Amino acid sequence: MRTPVPHRISTTLTTLVAPLVVLGVAALVAVSWSDELPDPVAMHWGTDGPDGFGSLASAVVPMLVVGVLLAVGGWALAFFAGHASSTRRIAAGSSLGMSGFLTAILLGSLDAQRGLTDAAQAPGITTTLLVAIVAGLALGALAAVVTPGDGDQPATQPIAADAPRLTLGSTERAVWRRDAFSRTTLVVGIAAVLVVLVLTVVTRVWPLGLLALALAFLLLTMVAFDVSVDERGLVARSLLGWPTLRVPLDEVVAAGVATVQPLKDFGGWGYRLGRGGRTGIVLRGGDALEVRRTGDRVAVITVDDAATGAALLNTLADRARARR
Amino acid sequence: MLLRIDPSSAEPLFEQIGGQVRALVARGELPVGTRLPSARDLASSLDVNLHTVLRAYQELRDDGVIELRRGRGAVVASAPDHGPLHEAISALVATTRRLDIPPATAVALLKEALR
Repeated sequence: MRTPVPHRISTTLTTLVAPLVVLGVAALVAVSWSDELPDPVAMHWGTDGPDGFGSLASAVVPMLVVGVLLAVGGWALAFFAGHASSTRRIAAGSSLGMSGFLTAILLGSLDAQRGLTDAAQAPGITTTLLVAIVAGLALGALAAVVTPGDGDQPATQPIAADAPRLTLGSTERAVWRRDAFSRTTLVVGIAAVLVVLVLTVVTRVWPLGLLALALAFLLLTMVAFDVSVDERGLVARSLLGWPTLRVPLDEVVAAGVATVQPLKDFGGWGYRLGRGGRTGIVLRGGDALEVRRTGDRVAVITVDDAATGAALLNTLADRARARR
Repeated sequence: MLLRIDPSSAEPLFEQIGGQVRALVARGELPVGTRLPSARDLASSLDVNLHTVLRAYQELRDDGVIELRRGRGAVVASAPDHGPLHEAISALVATTRRLDIPPATAVALLKEALR
């Protein structure tokens, strides 16, 4: 029996309607400026100012198409596979955030050209880029914040009989703990931060430094997790404390071991959405602890000795359910 | 690592915790440099008093099993090769079984000898 995806109206509003409104309004504003804009307009900037030109339509249409595709893609994911709040949150954040980023780039670059007769005189794009990054992050964060959470969903069924267990005396207490660390994320992340830093210095487009900072922060949130199973259930906490994935014992349907191929199953490494709406903390390929939880949600984390963690989680969940 | 304690056992909780860490390190399941959970985290995971875990960690440090580093917490220290000890223990167990000596007697004799 599948539970329906919750919060579909709010998902449609934040992940589809809001980004389309932002994109549509921006396109209308851009078109309303057509009399004041040079023809052609500047569309691309190098280190010495504008170096690519085109008609107004050729500036507006690609932005619209990319923005609409991203919004529809994010909405479809959240609408059809958004059982977990993290799925809906990431989809809403990226849809609305990207629409804000794209429209800020478009409107900022066009606004600076209003009243010019020759687009070659258009000023640099540094400030626009800065504003666009901030606008994108702010709108994305806003959409993520207003996305409704999952709430408590205690299970009504016992843990599956064929799920792995370990023997634990009735008076015994136990904890399982592992550090999970991603070499891939560390190497790729540091390389990305360095490339952006070098670009920042070479191009002197200082707002790119902000991007390097954001990437460094992202790296720290995704590179290492502390995974534990105890009376509080499964907790996977990142190095910075955020994000943290929690599965309380009363929401465990069954835990087990799964094999993860990062690119194939999750499209990469980090805190990710995977096929079938699974939420994954993907740090490497190979064995992973996979927890099916109530509300048709599945959490996956790649960690060594996942079999022991899964067995303890099932055992403790059995015990918690028997106490109820 | 999997740690378990039994509050109904006669053995004090700090000795149960310490004993399991010792065994895990000796068996090579916790390699040198492995970071143990912070005392606070472990205490809340096992629902025991913080001082119980701290006492276990301090004894482990005094015996050179772990190092307590400010900021990094408890880390498994480099341990001598336990291979010969495991062989001797296997021999001890085999002899005990052959002579049909009760385990409690063998443990008591071993404890006496190590004192």
